[in-house]
Amino acid sequence: MPGNRRRDRTRDRTCGSARDRTRDQARDRTRDETRGKARKPRRSRRAAVAAGLAVALCAALTACSGPDGSTSAGGKVVLRYTWWGNPDRAARTQAAVDLFEKKYPDVEVQTSFAGYDAYKQKLATQAAGGDAPDVMQLDYRMIDQYASGGVLLDLGTQQTVLKTGEFEPGLLATGKLNGKQYAVPQGRGTETVVYDPTQWKEAGLKPPADASAGGWTWDQWADAMRVLKEKTGKPGATDPGQSEDSFEVWLRGQGRSLYTKDHELGFTVDDLTRWWTFTDGLRREGVVSPAEQTTQLDGSVENTPLGRGKALSDMNWDAPASGYLALIPDGIALAPMPSGADGTPGQYFKPSMFMGVAADTGSPEQAARLIDFMLNDREAAAILGATRGIPVNESIREEIAPELKDFDKTIYAYQATLEGRLDTPPQAPPSGDSALQTTFQRDYDQVSYERMSPREAAQDYVTEAKAELRS
Amino acid sequence: MTTTQVPTPARTAQTPPVKRPKRQREGAAWVFLSPWVLGACLLTLLPMAVSLYLSFTDYDLFNSPNWVGLRNYTQMFTEDPRYWRSVGATLTYVVIAVPLQLGLALVVALALKNMKRGRAFYRSAFYAPSLLGASMSVALVWRALFNEGGTVDNLFGTGGWIFKPGWALVTVALLTVWQFGAPMVIFLAGLQQIPGELYEAAEVDGASGWRQFLSITVPMLSPVIFFNLVLQTIQAFQVFTPAFAVSGGKGGPADSTLFYTLYLYDRGFVASHMGYASAMAWVLLIVIGAVTAVLFRTSRSWVFYASDTEGGVR
Repeated sequence: MPGNRRRDRTRDRTCGSARDRTRDQARDRTRDETRGKARKPRRSRRAAVAAGLAVALCAALTACSGPDGSTSAGGKVVLRYTWWGNPDRAARTQAAVDLFEKKYPDVEVQTSFAGYDAYKQKLATQAAGGDAPDVMQLDYRMIDQYASGGVLLDLGTQQTVLKTGEFEPGLLATGKLNGKQYAVPQGRGTETVVYDPTQWKEAGLKPPADASAGGWTWDQWADAMRVLKEKTGKPGATDPGQSEDSFEVWLRGQGRSLYTKDHELGFTVDDLTRWWTFTDGLRREGVVSPAEQTTQLDGSVENTPLGRGKALSDMNWDAPASGYLALIPDGIALAPMPSGADGTPGQYFKPSMFMGVAADTGSPEQAARLIDFMLNDREAAAILGATRGIPVNESIREEIAPELKDFDKTIYAYQATLEGRLDTPPQAPPSGDSALQTTFQRDYDQVSYERMSPREAAQDYVTEAKAELRS
Repeated sequence: MTTTQVPTPARTAQTPPVKRPKRQREGAAWVFLSPWVLGACLLTLLPMAVSLYLSFTDYDLFNSPNWVGLRNYTQMFTEDPRYWRSVGATLTYVVIAVPLQLGLALVVALALKNMKRGRAFYRSAFYAPSLLGASMSVALVWRALFNEGGTVDNLFGTGGWIFKPGWALVTVALLTVWQFGAPMVIFLAGLQQIPGELYEAAEVDGASGWRQFLSITVPMLSPVIFFNLVLQTIQAFQVFTPAFAVSGGKGGPADSTLFYTLYLYDRGFVASHMGYASAMAWVLLIVIGAVTAVLFRTSRSWVFYASDTEGGVR
């Protein structure tokens, strides 16, 4: 045994040294290679690998931060143009864009659109990443935020291309911030009660009086909804409690406003509690849509209770109301928004939406030309009709008025009944308003799902709104 | 003896040149490591440092950040009711989803362990949802299944689960539970490590199957259970995609699926309060760290490492 062990150890040692030797020989060989001529190519090969890696890394790092938007493809200027809206608006906009491309063959316009909620999110992300589309549709609420954030181009620099001489001056001013024209309004819109006249008739309801005949108050509106519910078994309307827009109309009907001139809240917890108590009461009666329906609202007409055939009216802006036509075969009609108890109108004419150009676009001139075409070209105006509201170019408005067809005519006639009867619009909302609109909807969810009382939710909302407006 | 000493003088004589290849090898190592090192520095450490800084500012993505001290943190704790709703939703989700997922993974792993034929097939089949489930598309399918008028509604008349506050969270949790593949595979590996003679001995002593499970499988598997528990808890706190897709990005209804990360995203990218979102992210990091630490502390009393008792010490 001891002998064995010793022999083993010896063998081990021999093996070890043999291994050492081979390793040393190998090292010698390497050294020989590294010495002299063989050495240089080796180092340069390594340098090449390192350089290659560095280049690859740099490419990877810069890939997502390259210049955005307008790039030339085959000599053409490419513009990205995005908007929100219903399929009808998309089809008409695309037709107008096709005409633009025909007239200006050196420009290619890539279009895309989405529902309002999705659009708002996507645009915020794109703008933050420095990747805003060259030409974008903007809401009143977005202008302050994007203009002060340097996302938007001062369109005053493109005056020679983009003509605004025939625009209604009051409306044009709504796209200004600190004296600079960051966006131009595309149309004039106002809110409306969209309803299904056939079903109303079946329920034995007279069509609501239009504004020239005195309109209706919130109480009269609520009574009409009760009749609808009783006669048809369906809720009369979408629960308006979730909508900051409807709340604003209600508030203005009482002579108050959403925001003060200094961008603070223009209402109190008590005001909001009263509004939510009113709508929540109607919901409990089954007169307006239940929480499961209301929570599905996402800014598209398809997902409103009226569009889904679950209610008989909806409060919306007049231009997008055309989207209901595809969903309600019997057609729709427009009624004014309810007014305050003494008949004070709450609704107002608002620039329905704006067009703006990204500050970092590669082709500001072509972008401005596209806007000019969409707003001032007669043929384009004929195609677009009132899909974004009544045109802001006054001579075009008069020219196309007699040619308006179908629903565009309805919108025009509806706005005509309101002409001269509405109070002046509020100033542009503060930049936090866009986020607060969503908060409003979500806090009301707490009420309609009966997780909070109207007062508790109103307290939450006012707390959140104050924090939002402070920052 | 002589053979071993032959190379020695040569080696000492050539010491300096011998060192060079070593340094060259190190250099090469750095070159090959560089993508990772650069990635870690530029894409992880630097953004983390920046986010810590931003959490003390009012950065809104567009304008340059202004220092606001602890305001984001105080606002979070005192002025933001929805923040607390998101904390509540996240905790509820963690408490529901993690035990269910681990329980299911363990049951399936036990079933597979005793399977004679087709184990590889079933293992892959059960693992598949974990590969698919992380994707947006499956979450969208899930939304369609549980939507109003969706498959589940039509079959069982449940109504749209995703629009009922109590059920929406369950819907999202089910999606996570369904993806039990990763912990299952780990459990299976752990089960196969348990020596068979333990079970044989228990059999001889007349222990029932349930008894064997409690006294052999669970203690022997406890390190693996602990590992899975820590991993899945950390993941559950950070759940985002399923809630985002199922609730259409809103965390609804009534904020019932407004998970922490979803609200963080909402604050950062929708409301453009990057500073506030950064502060939220740091609070989440600290909370996850604390929860993990607590799990590690409790583990001393229930996790059993076989090496502890080697030689019959305990």
